Amino acid sequence: MSTEPDLDALEAMDDETFRLTVRQWIEANYPPELRNPPKRLHWRENRVWYMRLAARGWLAPGWPREHGGMGLAAARQLIMLEEQERHGCARTNDHGIILVGPLLIRYGTPEQKAFFLPRILSGEHVWCQGYSEPNAGSDLASLRTSAVADGPDWVVNGQKIWTTLANDANWIFLLVRTDKTAKKQEGISFLLVPMDSPGITVRPIVNLDLHDEFCEVFFDNVRVPRTYTVGEINRGWSMAKALLGFERIFLGSPKQSAYALGRLRLLAERMGVWDEPLFRDRYTALRLDLEDLKCLHARFVEIVRRGDTLGPDVSMLKVIQTELFQKITDAMLDIAGEHAGLLEPMEGNRELAPGALFIQARPSTIYGGSNEIQRNIIAKAVLDLP
Amino acid sequence: MTSDADLDESLRLIRDSARGIATPGDTRRIRALRFSTTGFDRDTWCQICAMGWPGLRVPEAAGGSELSMRAYVALAEVLGEGLVAEPLIPAAIAAHVLRGPGLASLLGGETIVIPAWQESANTLGVGLATSVGTRANGQKCFVPLAAGGDMFLVAGQGGLALVAADAPGVRIERQPTQDGGHFGTVTFSDAPAEPVAGALEPALEEATLATAAMLLGVMERAFTLTLDYLRTREQFGRKIGSFQALQHRAADLSMQIALTRASVEAAAASIDAGSPQSRAAVSRAKARASQAAMMVTREAIQLHGGIGYTDEYDIGLYLRRAMVLANSFGGAATHRARFAMLAVEEDA
Ligand SMILES: Cc1cc2nc3c(=O)[nH]c(=O)nc-3n(C[C@H](O)[C@H](O)[C@H](O)COP(=O)(O)OP(=O)(O)OC[C@H]3O[C@@H](n4cnc5c(N)ncnc54)[C@H](O)[C@@H]3O)c2cc1C
Repeated sequence: MSTEPDLDALEAMDDETFRLTVRQWIEANYPPELRNPPKRLHWRENRVWYMRLAARGWLAPGWPREHGGMGLAAARQLIMLEEQERHGCARTNDHGIILVGPLLIRYGTPEQKAFFLPRILSGEHVWCQGYSEPNAGSDLASLRTSAVADGPDWVVNGQKIWTTLANDANWIFLLVRTDKTAKKQEGISFLLVPMDSPGITVRPIVNLDLHDEFCEVFFDNVRVPRTYTVGEINRGWSMAKALLGFERIFLGSPKQSAYALGRLRLLAERMGVWDEPLFRDRYTALRLDLEDLKCLHARFVEIVRRGDTLGPDVSMLKVIQTELFQKITDAMLDIAGEHAGLLEPMEGNRELAPGALFIQARPSTIYGGSNEIQRNIIAKAVLDLP
Repeated sequence: MTSDADLDESLRLIRDSARGIATPGDTRRIRALRFSTTGFDRDTWCQICAMGWPGLRVPEAAGGSELSMRAYVALAEVLGEGLVAEPLIPAAIAAHVLRGPGLASLLGGETIVIPAWQESANTLGVGLATSVGTRANGQKCFVPLAAGGDMFLVAGQGGLALVAADAPGVRIERQPTQDGGHFGTVTFSDAPAEPVAGALEPALEEATLATAAMLLGVMERAFTLTLDYLRTREQFGRKIGSFQALQHRAADLSMQIALTRASVEAAAASIDAGSPQSRAAVSRAKARASQAAMMVTREAIQLHGGIGYTDEYDIGLYLRRAMVLANSFGGAATHRARFAMLAVEEDA
């Protein structure tokens, strides 16, 4: 775990020194065989990297220091993201860091914070997100998985779907219906549930990238101690909404697009179009989109760091980033020719996999609130249209 | 000269018989073939030959059925809807050129002949770094379903030659494609070859247009599935197809499909009429079809939400096929460039 003096020393550095320090540490510590993985890695594969970040105290750049985070300013968080992207670092099983941590820091009891936060930081708890159901996707508030009080426990019944990496997780954070009579948003609660509870079944689903990345999770009379409720009963919806802000900042972070743009350049060089003016103009337009996105992203990150509440305008970040990511992979298909249809990377080079990256870019406009839903939010909650 | 009514009737017949093999909606056969060694099924290939499709454009005197390009396009469209994996378009290229016993055994289904002409990505026409004659030397890439061929019709410096797939000096390296088929990189090292008279270019034109028609079928089927989904899936207590944002998207896709159909059928008519502008028309159709098919199949995933990103649900199969066909026989940019060049020649 990183010490206060270490964090103070990092904070005292100027941006360039900070960047170099991060870069050197990543280069020395990132497992080389995991660079630029062709698919999202499972916990058994990315755990090494998670644990190294944990040991260095660098797992949670955005969490406050008192809870074991780095408490970094927005610009510094961005530098950490950029350096990981530059080196081709894999995404870890990061739901605990991105979502559960901020949730508990804000709404958890002192006991919950003391129990869960250190276990996220140590890699003992690996989390997945149980929101969506077969009939509650965009209309999440219509979810039907129910929790009924029974003595000291809840008894949970129902089904979640599209649960990313549920097959890796040992904990799931769940939205459940605890009052069937209330208005749909008002009968929902937040539960933390161990995945090894009797009555939970996980069925992996093969995704379009031919990878078992998301799952169905079934709950059959699963008993959950009531002490694992976060915040007030029947107030889960407003907490979930607050959390969506964090999720949108994460999904709006420039990392995906920056990675893809780097690969587009490599592909353009390989295909011999890098010096063509037509291509260069298209590339530059994408690059400017990325630079502007970085500035916008930093503004939202700063709001969070100051402890202020994110507004609905954070939806913009998610739309801009994910559509940029897709535009970059569209450009890849346009220049790759016949290679675009290949299943495997070109010439065995993982960094030249236009078809796979194009497919992997598809769901970004679906998950975390589809882009149609984000545009509805912008139109209604930001622009106040009737 | 056939009348319009005769033509319509013959197109209807060919579509109906194509549906016998393509059975849109039943993807079990297609799924079972995905990522298999040859990528297609020999029995189905024999049925296709029994229908006379590889010889569709071959003169009757040579043993073919001498149908119009419009008929070929109608057939390819239905095969596209059904995601049919068998190598009809490649075999039809070979049939265009071969005559005599070679052609007879191709049309009879005994020998599958796959043309090998390309040497690098984003190129149209025959690569000339390969030499052919009584021996073949060189390397061809993106050879469609190469591992399922019995013979290659190799085009290069020196013209055309047939080379047996199992001949000494032939090496096939399979590269799986997103749709479950594969391309072959085929290397010829002093492989015994049998020279063939003729040129591949006219056949490549027809194959390009047939591929555009297949893309039309792919996008139409993906669109139909998407409309069905918009009409049945409910969120917020309503059919999602009632949301205006999605209605506008569906309307946009329908316009791209209409443009593609118009362009593909006009190009086919232009070939049938022997028009000097037919090459430009083919490029126009392929550029449109490639671009529109990617747009339609991509949006189809988006409009399905999470279920669209699963392999179990069929909609993704159309995206994967479009990813392969959009760049086969030249992608949108390549054909726009050729169109521009041809248009300059015309304008001059
Ligand atoms: C790769 C991936 C990972 C995921 N991981 C998780 C996870 O870990 N945990 C979790 O809980 N969920 C997860 N999800 C689920 C995701 O949040 C849902 O897929 C998403 O909310 C959309 O819901 P749906 O799939 O039911 O689509 P639907 O809501 O049925 O949407 C179908 C289409 O209709 C559109 N639509 C719906 N309502 C409207 C409207 N009012 N106006 C305009 N258009 C509308 C949608 O935008 C979409 O295009 C994941 C999804 C994917 C694809």
